Formats: sequence, C-alpha cells, structure tokens
Amino acid sequence: MNRKGIDEPIKVITVCGVGMGSSLILRMTAEKALSEMGVKARVEATDLSSAKSMAADVILGQEMHTDQLDGAAPVVVGITNFMDTEGLKQKLEGPLREQGWLE
Amino acid sequence: MISVLDVEVGVHVDGWQAAIRAACQPLLDGGAVEARYVDRCIEMVSSHGPYMVVAPGIALAHARPEDGVSALGVAVATLVEAVEFGHPENDPVDLVFAFASPDNDQHVHLLKALAEGIEEGLGVSLRQAVDARAARAALEEVLVGV
Repeated sequence: MNRKGIDEPIKVITVCGVGMGSSLILRMTAEKALSEMGVKARVEATDLSSAKSMAADVILGQEMHTDQLDGAAPVVVGITNFMDTEGLKQKLEGPLREQGWLE
Repeated sequence: MISVLDVEVGVHVDGWQAAIRAACQPLLDGGAVEARYVDRCIEMVSSHGPYMVVAPGIALAHARPEDGVSALGVAVATLVEAVEFGHPENDPVDLVFAFASPDNDQHVHLLKALAEGIEEGLGVSLRQAVDARAARAALEEVLVGV
C-alpha cells in the first residue's frame, strides 16, 4: 500500500488574499520545511476563496484566514511568520504525525 | 525582467495605508503600475485582513496583474516610525515591500530571491542603509539574475 507523505505526496495548499504573493512565500517555506522533515508533499499557493473548494490534505495560512477554513482539510494550521522554516516544522510535526504522514 | 526597482529610505507615514502608498510610489513613478493598483493593494488589506504582514516587521503589498500592471516591478519603503497593520503578532511594521507582476508567473523568481535575501539579512541591510543608493544596492544584490 502506498503511504501518504511517505510513498505518495500529500497535497498542501498555502493561502492568502490574492494567491500569488504572501502564499507564494509561504509555499517556498513549506516546501523547505516539509523536505527537511522528510515528508513527500506537493505544495500549491492559492487565494482564500479557491482554497475553500480545493481538496487538500493540509491548508496553511495566516490565522485570520485559516479560522475561516476549519474543516476544509484534515489539517488546517495557522502560521504567523511565513518566513520561519523552523517554526513551521514545529507547528506541522504534531498534526502530520497524528495523520500518519510523518514517520 | 525587472523594469522598476527602487527603495524609499526613511519615510515618515501616519499609518499602514500611507505606508503601502509609500512603498508603491516607485512602481507608480516608474510606470510599472497605474494609480488604481495602489488603491487595490490597500483594499486587499481592508477586505482580507493584514495577512500580507508576512514576518515580524515586514509587509509585502501587492494586488493582481489585472489591477493595472504593465511591467514587473519591486520597491521597498523603510519607515522611520513603524506602523500597526493590525496583525496579531508581526506588528509593528517598518519595512514595506511592494511588487507588481503583469502575469501570474513573472514575479515567482523575484519573490524567491527576495525571500532568500530576507532570510540572509536583507531586512537589516535595508534598515541600516545610510541612503537610498545604499539601500537600492542591497536590494539589487539579492535580485541579481532575476
């Protein structure tokens, strides 16, 4: 069986108001964090309204946005500093382990 | 190719709206954007919250290509008095970046270089720059090859 996050990538989306600036910065940080954690992932940046209808495994964004996206994905995490790779790793570790996406 | 690149150093503003205007001014002066682009950048915060305050002290203002962008541009304003955007943790902001992209792809390398530059201390170089020329040189340095 292919295991998510290990054999096949999890789908991660990063959100912001427009979907091309802040969320792109967060996408780069998330790609770095996930790769350092050894989690296979495909990360995409999008705007808040599109995020609501996208089937994702993980949604990352500012809390003011992720509060509106609760339940839209199995893992929804509010991120304050979009440039802090270490901080992002810490925030992701628990939820990803809980889902079995991190060994 | 980046057609407008500039820094405004030591700007005095009385709030986040004026801070965004200051950061966007070089884009406007250089012809990369129309005046409505600047208004849209402010509206983005009014309607979606201060999400563009992406890291402590740093905001990244922008709107969409269809909001009046004609060329790729990036600009920064360093503020003398930091302003509150209303972000729960990253306020106050004293470094405001603004960018404009004519489509959904041209800015990708620019932002990647900018993010890497900030990670390596671009923020400090800009804040400590003695004049606009030194600040511009610091920004140009991280954007070499973009």
